[in-house]
Amino acid sequence: MLSRVADSLYWMSRYLERAEHTARLLAVKLEITAEQSSEEAEASWARVVASLSSENEAPRDMDAPIITQHLALDRSSDNSLLSSLSFARDNARQVREQLTVEVWENLNRLYLKLRGTDVLDARYPAVIFREILQDLHALGGVTYSTLSHGEGWYFLELGRHIERAQLVCRLLDLHFGAAKTTVSADPRYFDWLVLLKFCSAFEPYCKVYTAAIQPEKIAEFLLFDPEFPHSVRFSIDRICDALAHVAPGAPPGRRASVERLAGRLKALADFTQIGELMAQGTIAHFLADIAAQCEEIHDAVYAAYITYGAETVL
Amino acid sequence: MPEAGLPPFEAYKLGAAYDEMFAADGSVRPQFAALADRLTTLPPEELQRRQQACETSFLHQGITFTVYSDKQATERIIPTDLFPRIVTAKEWDKIEAGLKQRILALNHFLKDIYSDGRVLKDGLIPRSMIYGSKHYRREMRGLPVPHDAYVNVCGSDLIRREDGSFAVLEDNLRVPSGVSYMLANRDVVRRAFPSLFRSQGVRPIDHYPRELLATLRALTPVREDVSIAVLTPGVFNSAYFEHAFLARQMGVELVEGRDLLVNDNVVYTRTTSGLKRIDVIYRRIDDDFIDPLIFREDSALGVSGLFNAYRAGNVVIANALGTGVADDKAVYAYVPRLIRYYLAEEPILDNIETYLCREPKALQHVLANLDKLVVKAVGESGGYGMLIGPHASQAEREAFAGKIKADPENYIAQPTVQLSTAPTFVDGRVEPRHVDLRPFILHGEKTVIVPGALTRVALKRGSLVVNSSQGGGSKDTWVLSN
Repeated sequence: MLSRVADSLYWMSRYLERAEHTARLLAVKLEITAEQSSEEAEASWARVVASLSSENEAPRDMDAPIITQHLALDRSSDNSLLSSLSFARDNARQVREQLTVEVWENLNRLYLKLRGTDVLDARYPAVIFREILQDLHALGGVTYSTLSHGEGWYFLELGRHIERAQLVCRLLDLHFGAAKTTVSADPRYFDWLVLLKFCSAFEPYCKVYTAAIQPEKIAEFLLFDPEFPHSVRFSIDRICDALAHVAPGAPPGRRASVERLAGRLKALADFTQIGELMAQGTIAHFLADIAAQCEEIHDAVYAAYITYGAETVL
Repeated sequence: MPEAGLPPFEAYKLGAAYDEMFAADGSVRPQFAALADRLTTLPPEELQRRQQACETSFLHQGITFTVYSDKQATERIIPTDLFPRIVTAKEWDKIEAGLKQRILALNHFLKDIYSDGRVLKDGLIPRSMIYGSKHYRREMRGLPVPHDAYVNVCGSDLIRREDGSFAVLEDNLRVPSGVSYMLANRDVVRRAFPSLFRSQGVRPIDHYPRELLATLRALTPVREDVSIAVLTPGVFNSAYFEHAFLARQMGVELVEGRDLLVNDNVVYTRTTSGLKRIDVIYRRIDDDFIDPLIFREDSALGVSGLFNAYRAGNVVIANALGTGVADDKAVYAYVPRLIRYYLAEEPILDNIETYLCREPKALQHVLANLDKLVVKAVGESGGYGMLIGPHASQAEREAFAGKIKADPENYIAQPTVQLSTAPTFVDGRVEPRHVDLRPFILHGEKTVIVPGALTRVALKRGSLVVNSSQGGGSKDTWVLSN
């Protein structure tokens, strides 16, 4: 596979994951706002903004329509939902011949639909995000069932799960870690439920731990559950699996430079206990470590397979 | 029987031009009878709905070109007309034979001017016209190309004159585009008129990508694991959709200049697993940009060292470099003579009468008759750098006359030809619009023309300019099997 193609597939997938995350947070937040006190609503908006927007451009005004408009449709912000979809589509366009007609058309339609939306319907603001989520899930299904599960597919997987692991870590950090105190008071009972919903984890969580909401169990579930697709450990397993399948013909030395990092990250996720993190108060450090190791893997993949100097292989 | 001027064709005014659907007396030509019948039964709303379906399909497929204006890049679809343009088997046979003859002669000509220059020694064509052409590549002198085929993909523009005969307006021998529209139009129009399509005996065109692949494959002596790539300038090029489309349909890699590198005169792509050798490049980049070491050094689209790899015979580039010298509008005037010279045959397809301003007598005639002529700059294409005399103002004509006098060798003139008209769906009505015809010719080990073409249509009433960059659209072209 061409290195440039791998690069585009990887980023297309990362942006799609970011778009899905943004759409889900907005949909969930808009749906539950009615049930929150104004103080709670403001605190949880602050968390949504902090997890989706870079600090210097976050709106100061915690007015729901303004925030929503900014996070969803602001073309000038690289972090908005529209920008994420637009970047995903730009990347897809550059590797149009590598995708199936179905994948391309689903993504293109989805983008054109959101681009055609100028103002959000104030009466049912969550509806558009639910629709987009559904379209993104459909796109995921179409990708799964029409695209060959070859190297390109594994670059998509790699991008999706590197992005997802980092996004979930960021959310957890806002509820458990270093960022917690700077944005809001301690999350209350209701906020824990919202956290689960932000990761589409409410029902899967209940199946494992029953509906009893316990912050430590939530952290355990979102970090270490081996089967839930939005847990950090699940993403790390997918990252390792993807790395085992990409660049099959690369020299062993280059492959090893990547796989060593992946193995280290996997060990961290496999053998860390939630109880220790909580007891020792090291969860913030742990989350930062995971995010940093994901970045290292990203850099190593690029150095080994994508931006390597031609003189090193001739 | 439906007739021009009667419902649903009440808006159909026949002019001086040949009309594809109606004879001069207003009766329907036999090949269009089934379509005309169908139109009498379909209400305009239904046609509108089908037209909309075609456009939506194009938009969703991303069959768009990018227009750069006011800082913002906008993506537009090239409008597709709902109605097919129909070509009879007899008409097609002549077009096909004529184009095969023409591409053979042009390839002989290219081989000649890049080797012995017999045609120049014999005085058939002035030397200055060839060696002074900005598309002549002296780097190509004495360089053999596979099967002596310089032009492997050609898209010739034909028009139909008032008397109904086809004539060649332009040979596009460099990097002709539009074939993806030919295929995409077929796809949507076949869906819009499925039963009509079935009953008409339309010859298939979907094998074009396979034929292109076979043509490219036959250009290299490598037999096992031939590695072929389509070289595109990238996603910002207006024909990018086509490049990606062809690569996907052929199952070959789509590469940009930055994906390729040359080492020891061998061309490689950079892959995740390491470097991979490339044997054939179907390039969609102009000569000038292909190798900054040899041609334009400011080109970021090309590959340093590519030309040396080509010269060493380690990679085939299709089309060969330097083919532009033969589709120059001045050389065009000589093509009938070239056919007689190289093939000892009479040309099957006519040329449009052409005045070369480099010849003093012709120049005088052109300047005296600017209001009746179309004047074109020799090296330009895409409808740029031209004057359409009858539609221009006095001031525009005078300004252009100045340009011609300053550099007569750079201009040719042709009489304004009424392009034929074909039924087109405009604002809910069926109206005649001017069309041309661009079939695609593949030439290598053998010559293949897929029985179809891109029909370009000037959507503005009365306009003769069909270029998509200037408000043209396109039509599906049905070549009938009998």
